[in-house]
Amino acid sequence: MVLLHIGAFHLDIDSQHQTFWHSLTPQTRLLCAMLLLLAIVVTPNGHWLTWGVYAIAILAVLLVSKITLVVLIQRLAVEFGFVGVILLGTLFREGGEVLWEWGVLKVTTTGLTILGSVTLKSLLSLILLNILTLTTSIPALLQALVILKMPPLLVAILASMYRYIDVLIAEFNSMYRAAVSRNLLNHRRWQRLVLGNAIGSLFIRTYERGERVHQAMLARGYQGLPPIQKLPTVRQRDVVILTLTLLFALFGQIIYFI
Amino acid sequence: MVLSRISAELLSRDWYCLIHSYLAMHIPDGFLNLPVIIMTWIITIGLIAVALNKVEAEYQDRTVSLMGVCAAFIFAAQMINFPIPGGTSGHLLGGTLAGVLLGPWAGTLVMSTVFIVQGVVFQDGGITVMGANIFNMGLIGTFGGYYLFSAIRNQVGKNKLSGMVTGTAIAAWFSVVIAATACAIELGLSGTVPLPIALAAMTGWHILIGIGEALISTVTVTFIWRTRPDLFYHPPVKSKSRIQN
Repeated sequence: MVLLHIGAFHLDIDSQHQTFWHSLTPQTRLLCAMLLLLAIVVTPNGHWLTWGVYAIAILAVLLVSKITLVVLIQRLAVEFGFVGVILLGTLFREGGEVLWEWGVLKVTTTGLTILGSVTLKSLLSLILLNILTLTTSIPALLQALVILKMPPLLVAILASMYRYIDVLIAEFNSMYRAAVSRNLLNHRRWQRLVLGNAIGSLFIRTYERGERVHQAMLARGYQGLPPIQKLPTVRQRDVVILTLTLLFALFGQIIYFI
Repeated sequence: MVLSRISAELLSRDWYCLIHSYLAMHIPDGFLNLPVIIMTWIITIGLIAVALNKVEAEYQDRTVSLMGVCAAFIFAAQMINFPIPGGTSGHLLGGTLAGVLLGPWAGTLVMSTVFIVQGVVFQDGGITVMGANIFNMGLIGTFGGYYLFSAIRNQVGKNKLSGMVTGTAIAAWFSVVIAATACAIELGLSGTVPLPIALAAMTGWHILIGIGEALISTVTVTFIWRTRPDLFYHPPVKSKSRIQN
């Protein structure tokens, strides 16, 4: 039984650098990443050259933004673990030449192509998204979402949730410690009962906390939506970079038709 | 049984991804093709839009605070590992639990919020496939789970604990298994994993996970029934609260 503790989140360890990438507004960074992500994902299997082109773009951002490579690699290693599990399923299938056979398991050229394509797609997507979250703080990302016309109510709920994750995990940890100190978690069957009750209790406390938060918000003049903060100014370089990203994404796609 | 408190933020974040991803069915980027992505996004955006309107009409200016903390609650609950009969351990998905506690619309909204934060902040589940992930676990798991629960509860007895428990247990197991099946079908349709392999792996594994989900959801619901039954979306008419106000 392992219970994990997330400290106060501080994911954007590289957000304070002064580079060209950081001088772009958060919404530009988000849009560029999303454009490139979409382009990577919709590329048909086996178009290696396209991903090569996109990899150059990602490498450029990686170098320009001066992010901490060690952290990036650590995060990628963990996030790629799950991808690896599903990836195995893509390998064994019919079609193409049979390269290796053992009983019912067959490795064919089609299987290898799909395995390679999907691996590359997920790897590039993960690197891109990690660069984004390493260099952009969550409040900045949320603000970018409002600017990009995501419903403000949904963004407000996201912000409120993000704020309370740590509080609730701490609350559960204290309940868990109380149960452990009373030897309530020694038996496997008891564990389920005690943990289930603890989750129920956590919900009751959560709901009551929600009511208290609401009253505190009203006391501070809340009227249905949080006040809009000062928006970062869009400069010429934002427009230029966005256009370049779009052209680059298209260039990667048409490279196979030239 | 070790309570590992890893205080370094980075390490704990990675550990979170590690245990969480192996067990949940969050599809990563690159595993679905464009038609499947577009189809699931259209359904998901429609669902979130309707859910936002319904929830705002019901909760009004309490929406942000209540939905926010409830989403954080589901997120925290998903991180708790518990033993599943059979030897392994699993964690809650919480779709049916959210539906039972908050109703179909608020439950769906809360689950969608959880998936958005997991995808954007923790890279747990892809961004382009978020439509599919919300479709599987928000629409099928929560919305479907709630109505299955509601039907069974009305059959067994609306104001009886047995109705609540039977409904929750069955709906929780089915919602997990059917969501896993939907996930397998999406992977199959995209041509990423051959459908039989996907079905065997995903559905087979989640038949086990679903038992854990049903057990924990049932215990949780029973606890709330005994202490604060008024918090349920459809509270029982005869309050069986032991706490005398």
